[in-house]
Amino acid sequence: MKIQIVLSGVGGQGLISNGEIMGQAASIFEEGLFATMTAAYGSETRGTFTKTDVIISDQPIGYPNVDEPDVILCLAQVAYDRYVDKFHDNTKIFYDTEMVEPAEGAKGEHIGYDFRAMSIELGDMRTANTIALGVMLKHCALRPDAVKQAIASRFEGKDKVIAINHKALDLGLSL
Amino acid sequence: MSKSVKKFIEGNNAIVDGAIAAGARFYAGYPISPSSEIAEGAAKELPRHGGVYIQMEDEISSMAALLGASLAGKKSFTATSGPGFSLMQENLGLGIMSEIPTVIFDVQRSGPSTGAATKPAQADIMQARYGVHGDHSIIALSPSSVQDCYDLSIVAFNLAEKYRTPVLFMTDEVIGHLRETVTEVEPDPSQIFNRVQPGEDVTQAEFRPYSFSSNMPAPMPAVGGRLLMRTTGSTHDEKGEFGPGPANIDRVTHYLTDKIEKNVDDITITRSYQLEDAEVAFITFGCSVRSTMTAVDILRAKGVKAGMLQLVTIWPMPEKAIRAVLSKVETVVVPEMNLGQLAGEVRKFNDYGCKVIQANRTDGVLITPKQILDRLEEK
Repeated sequence: MKIQIVLSGVGGQGLISNGEIMGQAASIFEEGLFATMTAAYGSETRGTFTKTDVIISDQPIGYPNVDEPDVILCLAQVAYDRYVDKFHDNTKIFYDTEMVEPAEGAKGEHIGYDFRAMSIELGDMRTANTIALGVMLKHCALRPDAVKQAIASRFEGKDKVIAINHKALDLGLSL
Repeated sequence: MSKSVKKFIEGNNAIVDGAIAAGARFYAGYPISPSSEIAEGAAKELPRHGGVYIQMEDEISSMAALLGASLAGKKSFTATSGPGFSLMQENLGLGIMSEIPTVIFDVQRSGPSTGAATKPAQADIMQARYGVHGDHSIIALSPSSVQDCYDLSIVAFNLAEKYRTPVLFMTDEVIGHLRETVTEVEPDPSQIFNRVQPGEDVTQAEFRPYSFSSNMPAPMPAVGGRLLMRTTGSTHDEKGEFGPGPANIDRVTHYLTDKIEKNVDDITITRSYQLEDAEVAFITFGCSVRSTMTAVDILRAKGVKAGMLQLVTIWPMPEKAIRAVLSKVETVVVPEMNLGQLAGEVRKFNDYGCKVIQANRTDGVLITPKQILDRLEEK
């Protein structure tokens, strides 16, 4: 089992944070899983293209970059456009319907939600990435519990942040 | 049982954890991409362990401070990249000549000079071996995973202490910034090597801070202790006093090389991946190992008997292991992110008519499995 995941968008959307949570969930809170994560970002911290490659496998991982994603999250058009040619028939493409216009004839299964609007409704705009993580999770070989533990460990001591992110994850899982 | 903790962290973070686990308690440095997380981590963690972090004015003084701290009895380390590594060469030579243990982490980036500051390369391999003037040998390790960054940091300090010499840890931007699953096992005290001390009954008259009669260094007490410890970068005798006679110069020159080259079996570490029945072999190190592992997997899936020799120690060059591969297979591919620095070394040992193919990438992007396989196809 080897799942190649790309989290893409623009700086400030919490994609690196998502990648770290997935990696921590796989490495620390699952048994027998390996994970790698590489990140690429512009020198500005906000607003420019950002992507994080996450690989989750039950075997040690060699080459850590993702060329053809099995699962991809696109939270910005610039990110979608960059990857659209890399989709294969089984790629699951999760995208933000407000930010991304899917290409006609693109390969793969497109699954769109208005993550940003949903996060505002939930009460915290910063949880859009966590809602998206919840939606993607069943394709990423991670148990919701493991991800919740990773969130709790990452935000240790910040109970409100943990609670809202758990809520956001549950919302994503329910979709 | 030893304490063990699982983490998902960057290679640069694991280096700090490994250094502290090895007993390092002094860091002097000047932050530089892509090594800065090591300085940051050392600044945060060392004071918590009774250690000291000093931000220096440059890499020349950083290297000097490492030697001073080590002479005073502390295990010391620094981290840098290309331009800083160049500045450290002079005092690195002082460390080699004066036989002062310390560890330098070079997170390699594209060069020369400022180069492409944040992009990976593996092009300091020859600088690691020959950057210091004068005949000498050097120990250099190269990690290919975050696990290695932790485990091999401990090995690096052990080798530095055992052989009383600076040790180079030649990592790269890919491994430095790769986040990965790592299990950090706290080493048992028996797994930590601390420099040998003179016996308590040794008098000042008897004490010699240097010895050139075997391939192992003399005991090394801290300066400021019971015994007067003399040291100098000039060619010296057993007492640490200037010794410019021809016979002394010759034996010191031989000794500095022999203490490493004659202990090559103790120092060198290699790993084999699918090598046993291999007909095509890859010889590589550092971040290129990751792409090569995947290339081997792809070939095996196609029924090609491919395997990989990983050089964990890159200096001294693991000659025996390289010869064993060259004498067994018809084709060897050497993937590396430079223009053939390791390939040249592999060719030196090729007395077997083996075809040695280079797979090089120098554009600041990690070499891909496909590029490695393409080079094999082109042969």
